[in-house]
Amino acid sequence: MNIQNNLKIASRLIIKQKTIIAVVIILVVMIFTGSGFYTTFNIMELLKSAAVLEILAFGVTLTIICGGTDLSIGSSMCLSGIVAIILMDIIPMWLAILAGIASGAAVGFINGFFVVHQKTEPFIITLGTGILIKGLCQQLTDAKPISPSNTSFVTISNGLVFGVVPNIIIVTIVLMVIFYCILRFTSFGRNCYAIGGDYGVAKYSGIDVIRIKWLTFVFSGLTAAIGGIMLSLLLNTGSSIYGDNTPLLVFCSAVVGGTSFAGGIGGIPQTAIGILLFSLLDNSMNSLLISPYVQMLTKGIVIVLIIWFDCYARKRKREAV
Amino acid sequence: MMQMIEKTKLQKNAGRVLSFIKNYLVLVSIVSLVMITIIVEPKFLTQPNLINIIRQFGPLAFFSLGMTFVIICGFIDLSIPGIISLVVIVTYSLIEPLGQYAAIAAGILVGIIAGYINSRLIISCGALTNAEALFITFGMSTVYGAIALIIAAGKTGHLSWIEKDTSAFSFIAQGGFGDFLSFSFLLFILCLVILYIFQSKTFLGNTIFLTGGNKTAARLSGINTFKSIQTVFIISGLMSAIGAVVLLSRITTASPVVGRNYDTNAILAVVVGGTRLTGGQGSVLRTVLGVLLITLMSNCLDLLGVSPFMQTMLRGLILVIVIWIDYRNQGGKQ
Repeated sequence: MNIQNNLKIASRLIIKQKTIIAVVIILVVMIFTGSGFYTTFNIMELLKSAAVLEILAFGVTLTIICGGTDLSIGSSMCLSGIVAIILMDIIPMWLAILAGIASGAAVGFINGFFVVHQKTEPFIITLGTGILIKGLCQQLTDAKPISPSNTSFVTISNGLVFGVVPNIIIVTIVLMVIFYCILRFTSFGRNCYAIGGDYGVAKYSGIDVIRIKWLTFVFSGLTAAIGGIMLSLLLNTGSSIYGDNTPLLVFCSAVVGGTSFAGGIGGIPQTAIGILLFSLLDNSMNSLLISPYVQMLTKGIVIVLIIWFDCYARKRKREAV
Repeated sequence: MMQMIEKTKLQKNAGRVLSFIKNYLVLVSIVSLVMITIIVEPKFLTQPNLINIIRQFGPLAFFSLGMTFVIICGFIDLSIPGIISLVVIVTYSLIEPLGQYAAIAAGILVGIIAGYINSRLIISCGALTNAEALFITFGMSTVYGAIALIIAAGKTGHLSWIEKDTSAFSFIAQGGFGDFLSFSFLLFILCLVILYIFQSKTFLGNTIFLTGGNKTAARLSGINTFKSIQTVFIISGLMSAIGAVVLLSRITTASPVVGRNYDTNAILAVVVGGTRLTGGQGSVLRTVLGVLLITLMSNCLDLLGVSPFMQTMLRGLILVIVIWIDYRNQGGKQ
């Protein structure tokens, strides 16, 4: 009886913390393979590759928690980098970067207008604005990659703090703390959960639902722009091909981490773990010299399995009630 | 007195016209697009261009037909890029050992099986909301795409490299009766008629609409919702497979990443046609209008000499506007 009870508790724990368990399993397995995984260089590379997606995901998590979807983040990401690099010739670098970030916020504002104010379907309308902005990026660059004239541009994200940690990781951690605090300790963040949990109830309890949901779209555009600029900084190029598959990957990671797509459940740490899992999978399979196609297969299977278990647990809960 | 009656009559007529425009926004935009193009560039009406349009009306139409049912049922199928790539690669690599007809049959079977696997996964975990199915099919798309890449070892093949007979593919691409009735167009009409009859005249077709409208209500009133979910995903897999064979015949290249971006285009064609993403309403005929708008748009903009980048922008802009107006109208009704 006792053993059964313990088993039940253990299985519940496994289902609840499946992403963390998956991360731990990968980390433990990598100890025994004797590849070059546990070197400072590799760990920093791993975090660097996760950083851009993490930044994108923080804003998106707000949108998801509030019950929305934003598929235009891939395009906002391109736009911000391109705007910053083009404007760099005319105005000082810091202003150009700010302009790039502002362009993302503007896209988010437009999305928010259509989705929240005009009450259209977020999935399809952000897909449309995404296509529109992708076209704009191609028009601005002639679909060619462009590089900045200012050479100090590239040092911003590649520069090191304490001689080891790249700046971009510091930026990611700072943003993570900021967004965690926003969601956790401000009335705006708490209202996001309320709106995602039940839109109607939130509205009738006097929350300004339209303003807050609109703001979440601005935030997701803003983080997409910051992420896009970070990517352009890392690669020292702006291109209209960035972010073609990014939105779905970011959403998947957030959901895999434990943010519920129905809205109202989730948080920044969960999303961060979700993204980390995929970067970890990529990195560890690379250091084991597994072919890229098998890597893709593994990633697909991991996505399907984790989401399948998530749904299955919810189904069991529904039936139990 | 007379004046007043006339005025009300006029208002009535105006109201009727307005509501027609509201209901058939796609049709109106198609007609206005064609009118503008004819006025600016009379070449639009020449025979070669019309044939060209029918030829362009290709694979996307098949994919969108399959996607229509999934969307009516209240889901979204993101797995079609993976299924298309897998079917193309399987068909291509089986021509050598099995011959062309068996290869095509095997490809279509693969599509049906892929759709069946999707539906089993979704039913077994009880994914009832759009988002859950969306991510499961997205993951499966990655899986199918990866299998295609593994089979093809990442290489792109070409039909002309095969030493065996590949006449069936050139027949699908070019054969037919006369210039206008190409084989793939006839195949499309056939699929459309069958799916339309299925949608409007059969019991199973009707249950799809009811399932999409409200899953719990449908299940409680004794409808086998699992069966309708299974049906829509199998139809989507089947239509993706047929479209993939047509695609392979037309471009004669078998690339393992050929299906990319077809999912979003198919969803756009369906939604622009007027099928709502919330499920429960829509029609394959509306989807045909949506595909027609997207195809005509690229043809007309090409004729007008708009740069491809500008075209992408305009496509996004028109889509946003069409969907926005559509939702405004629907919102006003509720």
